[in-house]
Amino acid sequence: MTAPLLSVRDVSVSFGGVKVLDGIDLDVKSGEIRGLIGPNGAGKTTMLNVISGIHPPHHGDVLLDGVSIVGRKPSDIARLGLGRTFQTSQLFRGMTVLENLMTGLHHRTSSGLLAACFNTRRHQKEEEATKEEARQALEFIGMSAFADRPGSALSFGQQRVIEIARTLIGSPKVVLLDEPAVGLSLNRLAEFDLLLRRIRDEKGVTLILIEHVIRLVMDVCDRVTVLSSGRRIAEGSPDTVRNDAQVIEAYLGKELRARHPAS
Amino acid sequence: MMLFGRRNVLLAMFVIAAATPFLVNDYYLFIANTILIYVLLSIGLNVLVGYTGQLAFANAAMFGIGAYTTGLLQVRLGWPFWLAFPSGAVIATAVGLAISLPALRLKGLYLAVSTLAFAQFTQWTFLNWEAVTYGAGGFKTPPISFAPLPFSKEIGLYYLSLLFVVVLFVLAQNAVRSRFGRAFVAVRDSEIAAQSLGVDLLRYKALAFGISGFYAGIAGGLYSALLNFVSPEGYDLFQMVLQKAMIVVGGLGSIVGSILGAGAIVVILEALRAVKGVQEIAFGAILVGFVLFMPGGIAGFLKAKLRGWEEPLHRTQGDTPPSSTLVTPAEKSEVRS
Repeated sequence: MTAPLLSVRDVSVSFGGVKVLDGIDLDVKSGEIRGLIGPNGAGKTTMLNVISGIHPPHHGDVLLDGVSIVGRKPSDIARLGLGRTFQTSQLFRGMTVLENLMTGLHHRTSSGLLAACFNTRRHQKEEEATKEEARQALEFIGMSAFADRPGSALSFGQQRVIEIARTLIGSPKVVLLDEPAVGLSLNRLAEFDLLLRRIRDEKGVTLILIEHVIRLVMDVCDRVTVLSSGRRIAEGSPDTVRNDAQVIEAYLGKELRARHPAS
Repeated sequence: MMLFGRRNVLLAMFVIAAATPFLVNDYYLFIANTILIYVLLSIGLNVLVGYTGQLAFANAAMFGIGAYTTGLLQVRLGWPFWLAFPSGAVIATAVGLAISLPALRLKGLYLAVSTLAFAQFTQWTFLNWEAVTYGAGGFKTPPISFAPLPFSKEIGLYYLSLLFVVVLFVLAQNAVRSRFGRAFVAVRDSEIAAQSLGVDLLRYKALAFGISGFYAGIAGGLYSALLNFVSPEGYDLFQMVLQKAMIVVGGLGSIVGSILGAGAIVVILEALRAVKGVQEIAFGAILVGFVLFMPGGIAGFLKAKLRGWEEPLHRTQGDTPPSSTLVTPAEKSEVRS
């Protein structure tokens, strides 16, 4: 068995005496799409914040490609190949869509301040290459027509997809997606399955997906981890998890009945 | 190329600025020089506030530090202006970088209050450290000479200021269009997303503070030479409000807007100088008017109204509707399905 690309080991986080994460382990293999589900307050987003360095864990370790990333700055962790998107839109609203994507290439460009100020030949070349790569990324998500729109003039769903592209353009190894399907219409949801698979297959990116749209999780994920009250209560293939008594009790049962009465 | 395209307008402004010494008397030349100095201040402040979104109130203090350093090095140590002036800019930059250190931990109002405290501390030092600063009365600086160039002091200083404005305008314009400008705007629009894309918050905030300090330091050195005099009240809170007004009126997140805003505010203040008391009222009314009715400032207005006017990248969207109103009702109902 190969070493996991991302490994969370015995991580605990408490906020004011409340254990939000309680001894969580998580191993994600390269090329996997991993679902992370659970009721509200289960600690899913906290988990992403721990991995991306925004909340250092009080206990435990996080390894990316065998290297411990605990205690590093979020920007350094991003440079090591960890991308993420957020529950709410974090598009840079004062920039155009293309500029948003170009910002995603920030850590892969190297022009210094003086080169930029004096607009040297080398800097111009780098800007051109950045722009071209951003255009290709827009093409990948089929939104080339939106290149020059300001970020603030997009629908919520469009903003989410652009944010994913903005993260992908920096060639991360792992991308954490926090409820990416919020704001998508049902027919866009179908395309979204495809987009996630294409990201994995064409870009070779490993994905960790927090999502409440259970159908999406079950369709697209190779394995699913279920959190509840800061503990991991189940992990396995979508089918295993779907039929797990504890999972039905804590999350799925109610949810499935309430949300998909027909299924 | 449109007649009122950005490039043409800038070119016309440059030609007018370059011809000004031949067209006007000494008093108007003094005003024109004041505008140039405020343009430098506004550009630096706009990088920090308009682009990087750091609500800082230390620019007037850094302006003062530039002026005091330039002046005191000449008076106390007998340095020539040409050595004291760059030193003032270096010191102001260093101070800018230093006050950026707490800025990583402070946001919004907290940053505003702490930088305000720093500005008051600087003001207090100018006033009370009499052994060095000459206290409340200020001090005269030796007149600078442009020999062997055939310029009077007034005209020489005007062209020196214009040279700095042109060069520092171009550099700032290039910088905000580059990955640095994008990093600044990223920090302004979403810190959490910026760092998740590998933008080091501390580095770019420090850079923005350093840039504004540098521009303020240059402006301070020129201002001390323009007045031949340095005193604390030139660098107080009102000075800060003046500079903030310039970038708001000109347009937050627009380098060209900084020029227009500085010009507009200085002209308005001068025009109202004769009528005592009206200055403050008009000034306040203009600020409120812009905040309410033209949040994009003059630059935003030009961009919207003039077809040829392409305001490059990263303008603040003054009238941004909240994203939720952009979701169609159909999408809204499916959000939680």
